[in-house]
Amino acid sequence: MMAADSSSSLDNVKEQPPKSFIPTIKRLHFKVVQYMMEACIKLKLDSTTSASACTIYHRFFSRCQAEDYDPYLIGATAIYLATKVEEQFCKLRDIINVCYRILHKNESPLEIGKLYWDLRESTVNCELLVIRTLGYNPKASDLPHKYLVHYLKSLQSWIDKDTWDSVPLCNTAWGFLRDSYHVDLCLRTKPQHLAIACIYFAMEVYCVTVPYNDVAKIPWWKVFSEDIKLVRIEAIISELIDMYDMETKVKPQAVTENSNKTATDSLNNTATPSK
Amino acid sequence: MAAYQREVIDFPYCDEVSKYDKIVKIGQGTFGEVFKARHHKTRKIVALKKVLMENEKEGFPITALREIKILKLLRHENVVTLLEICRTKASAYNRYKGSIYLVFEFCEHDLAGLLSNVNVKFSLGEIKEALKQLLNGLYYIHNNKVLHRDMKTANILLTKDGRLKLADFGLARAFSFPKAGQPNRYTNRVVTLWYRPPELLLGERNYTPAIDVWGAGCIMAEMWTRSPIMQGNTEQHQLTLITHLCGSITPEVWKDVDQLELYHSLELPKGQKRKVKDRLKSYVKDQYALDLIDKLLGLDPKTRMTTDEALNHDFFWEDPMPCSLTQMLSQHNQSMYEYLAPRRRIQQNHHPPHPHAPPAPPRQNPSTSKLGLNTASFEKTY
Repeated sequence: MMAADSSSSLDNVKEQPPKSFIPTIKRLHFKVVQYMMEACIKLKLDSTTSASACTIYHRFFSRCQAEDYDPYLIGATAIYLATKVEEQFCKLRDIINVCYRILHKNESPLEIGKLYWDLRESTVNCELLVIRTLGYNPKASDLPHKYLVHYLKSLQSWIDKDTWDSVPLCNTAWGFLRDSYHVDLCLRTKPQHLAIACIYFAMEVYCVTVPYNDVAKIPWWKVFSEDIKLVRIEAIISELIDMYDMETKVKPQAVTENSNKTATDSLNNTATPSK
Repeated sequence: MAAYQREVIDFPYCDEVSKYDKIVKIGQGTFGEVFKARHHKTRKIVALKKVLMENEKEGFPITALREIKILKLLRHENVVTLLEICRTKASAYNRYKGSIYLVFEFCEHDLAGLLSNVNVKFSLGEIKEALKQLLNGLYYIHNNKVLHRDMKTANILLTKDGRLKLADFGLARAFSFPKAGQPNRYTNRVVTLWYRPPELLLGERNYTPAIDVWGAGCIMAEMWTRSPIMQGNTEQHQLTLITHLCGSITPEVWKDVDQLELYHSLELPKGQKRKVKDRLKSYVKDQYALDLIDKLLGLDPKTRMTTDEALNHDFFWEDPMPCSLTQMLSQHNQSMYEYLAPRRRIQQNHHPPHPHAPPAPPRQNPSTSKLGLNTASFEKTY
């Protein structure tokens, strides 16, 4: 998940929403995505590849019932498929080993033997199932990442340099976007809109504003995407807040301190659109 | 993560291929088989291409995934249209995997089949029209950041109403233009040998759309010669043939060619002059055509003509202007495909090495194979 400092500053700005009931199913998918993200980081996959994997996962379960399948297997398969779709090829063996290790923390690593070959066979068959379920269209739409980078780059020239340099706006927006995949926002939101909402949220968190936006004829978000309304941005942000709230309620099952560190590291390495 | 239980699953998003009746096999390659088929109810004729999956250790083949991804992205009158994807039922017969078929619009001919039939005659205007459509298709896919990577006459389809379509995106992939300091590392094992450009033969992995343009140049010349112009049997041999046609490969005509991986390890004939126009003029009488071929077959990929420049070439804008292929094609009622073509010439038994083909069987004794392809007589190949 996000670096600790940004989520704490988040608490300062926004009030905790009332503790509400989280459906079991949402909780389950949240946990599986957490496991997928950890696997993607350990496999050194790009943020776009892991986002693509999560999108595949959510799309699959928007069409299928979670009770009918092992979501952890679907998750591993989604990663495998995403490495092919995003052209960041990764050996199936590595994916199986990493996923197994995350799910069986206290056991010895997976040996090459019957279990390994069974898991391999399962993943390969499962891949066919997933790809069929998605109608052979594993990449249905663009990822928001390129829009985010593009928008941030434009905003950089609108906001004065001192403000821009004083806060990690890019890293935070990028982090929000990465985290948004813990829920199925990506299925219900245009990639442009999700990117704008993440930036808007990050700017709120750090109290950064675009100069003269309040008197501008067209607010900055409309410049990027004509068809977005402020209410929609706010709705996306409120979903993001609910998601972070869920994080505190879902017992972290797999994320260790160690992997948290690598998560922050890779976040810092990849999120440098400002440079 | 647990081993997944086999069960019968319904796929509402993917029809079964049994709704089509196979009529005849029209193609065979390393990728699998292609059939002409008819829809039960609508009687619509389609082409079915089977995705081979039996021997896939790495699951669903990434090449098929790329082909699907690319074909769903591309919609153009000069690019074959993917109609849908169908499956067969998973059963014990196919180890519960089931096969997958790509369903394409049906095209009556392929260019290799047409060119191998002496009764098919193209007028200059018709050649111009075919090439214009070919370059238009290439321009479109390159603009959409896709490389075809298997240009050859067998992959150029024609409908009976005179529409040319690029087909077989089984080797295609998305590309980005190489940035300074960040070279791409694409696989070098692409493009059928006879249509493979010199940069690939020299081991370039940071290649550009220019690789498809070279193929277009080979195909353009073939419109007149009626058989592939450079039929090498090894990479080395192919490079030698290219040198004999396009002149010696040196850093003078091709800046930085000496940086390529295989430049120093392959034998490159020295002192050869460029004689593209000279050697083709007995086939190609049109000066504009000769000039365009010459520019499409530029050695240096950086200065080779692009599809956009080619479409602006005088060849397409001087009389006779491009004219419809419909009338010529309407004289032929029978489908012509390379696969179905009667083996008129002994040469045709010989197929160019496909980059993903299994290793070729040991070559026959040259004295018994009348291919005329050994180095001594390669000058005769066209």
